[in-house]
Amino acid sequence: MYMEGNKCTQNIQNQSVNMADMDAETTTHTQPMVEEEEPLFSNLDLFLFSLIVGLVIYWFMSRKKPEPIPEFKKLDTPTLTTRETSFIEKMKKTGKNIIVFYGSQTGTAEEFANRLSKDAQRYGMKGMAADPEEYDMGELSRLSEITNSLAIFCMATYGEGDPTDNAQDFYDWLQENDDEDLSGLTYTVFALGNKTYEHYNAMGKYVDKRLEELGAKRIFDLGLGDDDGNLEEDFISWREQFWPAVCEHFGVEASGDESSIRQYELKEHSDINMNKVYTGEIGRLKSFEVQKPPFDSKNPFLAPVTVNRKLNRGGDRHLMHLELDITGSKIRYESGDHVAVFPTNDSALVNKLGQILGVDLDVVISLNNLDEESNKKHPFPCPTTYRTALTHYLDITHPPRTNVLYELAQYATNSKDQENMRKMASSSPEGKALYQSWVLDSCRNILAILEDMPSLRPPIDHLCELLPRLQARYYSIASSSKVHPNSIHICAVVVEYETKTGRINKGVATNWLKNKLVTDNGHKSTVPMYIRKSQFRLPFKATNPVIMIGPGTGIAPFMGFIQERGWLKEQGKEVGETVLYYGCRHKNEDYLYQEELEESEKNGVLTQLNIAFSRDQEHKVYVQHLLKQNKEDIWKLIHTDNAHIYICGDARNMAKDVQTAFHEIAEELGGMTRTQATDYIKKLMTKGRYSQDVWS
Amino acid sequence: MESDASVSNGAGPVQEAKEETLSPEDLSEMLAEGTKEVHEKAENTQFVKDFLRGRIRRELFKLGSVALYYTYTAMEEEIERNKDHPHFAPLYFPVELHRHEALARDLEYFYGPDWQNQISCSQATQHYVDRIHQVGLEDPVLLVAHAYTRYMGDLSGGQVLKKVAQRAMKLPPTGEGLEFYHFDGIHSAKAFKQLYRSRMNELELDMETKKRLVEEAVKAFHFNMEVFQELEEMGKNIQEDVLDAGMPVHGAMGGDINKCPYYAAKMAASGGTAYACQLTMALLRHPTGQVLFATWFAALAGLAAWYLM
Repeated sequence: MYMEGNKCTQNIQNQSVNMADMDAETTTHTQPMVEEEEPLFSNLDLFLFSLIVGLVIYWFMSRKKPEPIPEFKKLDTPTLTTRETSFIEKMKKTGKNIIVFYGSQTGTAEEFANRLSKDAQRYGMKGMAADPEEYDMGELSRLSEITNSLAIFCMATYGEGDPTDNAQDFYDWLQENDDEDLSGLTYTVFALGNKTYEHYNAMGKYVDKRLEELGAKRIFDLGLGDDDGNLEEDFISWREQFWPAVCEHFGVEASGDESSIRQYELKEHSDINMNKVYTGEIGRLKSFEVQKPPFDSKNPFLAPVTVNRKLNRGGDRHLMHLELDITGSKIRYESGDHVAVFPTNDSALVNKLGQILGVDLDVVISLNNLDEESNKKHPFPCPTTYRTALTHYLDITHPPRTNVLYELAQYATNSKDQENMRKMASSSPEGKALYQSWVLDSCRNILAILEDMPSLRPPIDHLCELLPRLQARYYSIASSSKVHPNSIHICAVVVEYETKTGRINKGVATNWLKNKLVTDNGHKSTVPMYIRKSQFRLPFKATNPVIMIGPGTGIAPFMGFIQERGWLKEQGKEVGETVLYYGCRHKNEDYLYQEELEESEKNGVLTQLNIAFSRDQEHKVYVQHLLKQNKEDIWKLIHTDNAHIYICGDARNMAKDVQTAFHEIAEELGGMTRTQATDYIKKLMTKGRYSQDVWS
Repeated sequence: MESDASVSNGAGPVQEAKEETLSPEDLSEMLAEGTKEVHEKAENTQFVKDFLRGRIRRELFKLGSVALYYTYTAMEEEIERNKDHPHFAPLYFPVELHRHEALARDLEYFYGPDWQNQISCSQATQHYVDRIHQVGLEDPVLLVAHAYTRYMGDLSGGQVLKKVAQRAMKLPPTGEGLEFYHFDGIHSAKAFKQLYRSRMNELELDMETKKRLVEEAVKAFHFNMEVFQELEEMGKNIQEDVLDAGMPVHGAMGGDINKCPYYAAKMAASGGTAYACQLTMALLRHPTGQVLFATWFAALAGLAAWYLM
């Protein structure tokens, strides 16, 4: 373009020269004429004048043209040479002692790194987040030059166990340098990954292991975040335990207000309309008084209890059968689904907490989030009373987690108590062991801790901030909606046991259910509930054989299955083999639903009823023994008749033992090796022919 | 069933035992096997690869949601029609699976309350939708293949896509815009997939029909890839619009502004007089224009002079 202009300009200039020449010529010609007439300006003068003006204008404008040479703006190259690639220098310059490196692809690890670096402030330290691609990672060993230094790594795994793009160089560096001495480096790793991928958290795990191999000192356990589950929750849990451990390690004193990292601010309401106060609702205010469908986890239905009877005839446990009325709720369910209930804490326990802390539990309060931008305005529905919070919203029976102990430590006036609290929150082997024995093995809940540590008297509002939320409990429904469309049956055993400290611990939900008595007077016991759909289902075809294995309260969903098959039979449908393996301790004590089951066997709904009474003889007999005894029949049903297998009950022992029994049967009767048998059962699971509804 | 193969030769018995114990006739296994290759292809399309890396722009994601809306509306319409058909009934899980309402909510979030008037069905999507309707009306058993391809995918990799999309486009943590990926009625995706497979295997089908189902599933994957490709193309056009947003630099650079189509369009759009003005200025900058103007000016001056004399 520029060249073209040049050419054009040149041409014009040539032309103008020609014109000028012409002018010169004409001038000589016209001069005599001017002399004759003698006006001020002759025609020619004017003509010439205008021509010159025209040329001047043209020339003037063409002068501007050569200027805009397309120059590109000079790039600021100095940034590369002057930018700080030494994170050590940067940390020294800005007074930071904690550096958080992130291997991030979509920004999550980076976000976590930023949050961690901000956290440092609350513990009296200074942190910065850093992209490993921008710094010389070879300087890691130099961290010893900084007092109380710590390197945190938030490493995401990408694809098939690979590092993220920005961590590739760091990964290569780690692999190549065997003789790197990182003994001056104190570190910890939080890994971000996804369990559905084969190489779950490979990068995070590698960094954690490799740094140790190179001599670095691990200050806290590797955190594993699973994006398939809840990555945020994994991170928060890990972080909560991590910082107390860091403080412990550096001997950072939690001094007074500075270390009190309150998230919420207490507000007491002295004069408030009681209609605005929460009395136990999960979601909308007054949702328990004015019930509106649809009913779900945020809006449970208050189902009246129509039956509450003891199932066992003897023994020292209490097994119960409850029936909840869902008439008018529009709630639908299928056999195999779970019913979720919202229990409340024992009022005696709540009262004791109030007494020991010396507070009036009926004060109306709100706990308001200090972070105004947070979505979570309160830790539980507010405004409410302490009594309501401790009864309906907070978990006061599980042993408190280490971060709770750490935060409460400051309120222990006895220095030994305070020391022990901090120790249990730390990651030292000694501290971990103390926590394990004093809190976990001894089953100490918050009240027990307060009782056994008399100098520990935290303010009740801070305690309410720290305690976790009270969770809903799930029970496998023990009825079929075909037979009982308006009633949901529950089969449960009341949890009650003595701890090492001589206290009696009671299960929250089971004791609460036990006390939901059916009354004769107007007042009905109600249970706030909703249905959580499960995938535990009878086969679509009624003719398909089923093998149900459900000892103890594991019988629950099978009561629904058996009722349903009975109903199908009554409808005139052809029903296939319906086999049950049940187990209990003593035939005369805890044989649950004996009448119903024997009836079902009699009228042919239950084609096989196999019961293992574990303690009725010298040696223990369990369901898996019965399975082995009937191995030919079992194998035929599975391998030839396409039977579906269902396991319900205890996860830890029973489910494992039963699975092993199936492996053995497949080995023996299927002519397989142990590996093949294991694969065979695994395949049944994938194809939905081996389902489990188990709990621990 | 006893295996009477001798154990002397290690390889032999193992193979035989394997074939006896594993049923290659199960529809769920045939489908998984038969679509393995095309599944990998789909994963490796540029659109999907970019998506997984977090490179997905809001406008393109919206168009993707529109495509999904038309697809699932068609599929769920045909499922409703055939819900009692013996070759589909065991797989009828409307509460757990159906997506068109969730997608409608997502589209309302992205396009506003008038969303239905703002969206249209693209060519590749129409292609897919037509096949679904054809199958639902003429050969309902093949509907299983389409349901399998979409729903099983949504419950697997689909969950990963949700998290990527949420971060990449900074969508609210409360789930708006991504309700498609949230299966409210399913507590465990893994358990549900197992149940779904067992139901597929309960269908009473002969081997020939099962083979046809596998073929149809592969076809379904191809329809999906066609939609991805179309989205990829649409994505390129969106790119240009984005670039246009800030572009005032033409004049100073010495380039001919009239060669810039966007500038011309902008000028044409901004009205006549401004355009004429700009046009004049443009002309004046051009060398030939300048000569002509000078000559014209000179001639005019000359005429005026002559007239006045």
